[in-house]
Amino acid sequence: MRLLVAIPALNEAAAICGVLESLSRVHPLEHVVVIDDGSRDATARLAREAGAHVLSHAINLGVGAAMGTAFKYAARNGYDAVVQFDGDGQHRPEHLADLVAASAGADIVIGSRFAQGGTFKSSAARRGVQRFIARVASLYARTKLTDATSGFRISGPRAVAVFAEHYPVEWLGDTVESIVLATRQGLRIAEIPVGMNERAGGVPSQSVLRATLYTGRILFILILAGIRSVPREIRASSPRDPKAAA
Amino acid sequence: MTPQVLAIGMAIVLLVVVVVLLRSYVLPEKYAVIWLGASIAAIVLSAWPGLLDTIADFFGIASSINLLFVGAFFVVFLLLMQVSLELARTRDELRKVVQKLALEIERRPKDDD
Repeated sequence: MRLLVAIPALNEAAAICGVLESLSRVHPLEHVVVIDDGSRDATARLAREAGAHVLSHAINLGVGAAMGTAFKYAARNGYDAVVQFDGDGQHRPEHLADLVAASAGADIVIGSRFAQGGTFKSSAARRGVQRFIARVASLYARTKLTDATSGFRISGPRAVAVFAEHYPVEWLGDTVESIVLATRQGLRIAEIPVGMNERAGGVPSQSVLRATLYTGRILFILILAGIRSVPREIRASSPRDPKAAA
Repeated sequence: MTPQVLAIGMAIVLLVVVVVLLRSYVLPEKYAVIWLGASIAAIVLSAWPGLLDTIADFFGIASSINLLFVGAFFVVFLLLMQVSLELARTRDELRKVVQKLALEIERRPKDDD
């Protein structure tokens, strides 16, 4: 199986070298692509010097668009599967093999921080919101998911075909909406437990007003994901029949 | 038929248009909130015209229709402002992309890709 590891990165100059170095122990950097999403620092140069392929967005378009670029790159270069990997060292390279192994039984396998065996620590409120998102996503995906917002996931051949045509670009779309979209296309989604490292940056929202707006926006997006139809690009090109896409 | 039925009908058409555009990925989530808000407000105000009078009384506006005009004008002003800002941002991004593309083409003149 030809496997591409895709790292969406925005201003990750401080972390990217370490990430690529640890990744190179389990996966050749020849098959790693860093999507530099309009970084203002040396992310692209450092990643290129380390030996990874680099695609640079001229402007910042967001994680969803970066992954869209990665899937188009994968489809064009004949990759069978794409693993999304974090640029700030949150994801652990040793789980790569677990994702690949699990991908035999599903089109998309999500590395869950909260499944049995996962070891991620997080605040109660954050955890509650994420648990709620996961519950709604489980309904959409018709399978039990404990961590819908995890970016650590593998997409198999059928998922790559779908996502190369369209990948959700809006906020939370890259994680939650992509699950809904994949399910609508008849893809199977599964999850495995993974451990994750502490995120380097990241400021949790503190004030009540911001937390309320945040929760409201998530609710709105979850409802939206449910009522939205399949985007035109996908309807036109990707077959629902599993055999045709295999 | 009363004018109120016409007003409610128009407000519902507005809401349906917004939902259809949203559903088909034409209208992004970012702009959907303000349009959904506007169409729901239109439905509420046309279904309960008394509400407008109550709010006008609160602000001390003698003729409640003036409140509607001022309010609607303000909302339209905000929407236009948002469109202007987005247009400026988009043009700025387009300039950056074209400039980057020009530099990339110059770097690899023989590459046909």
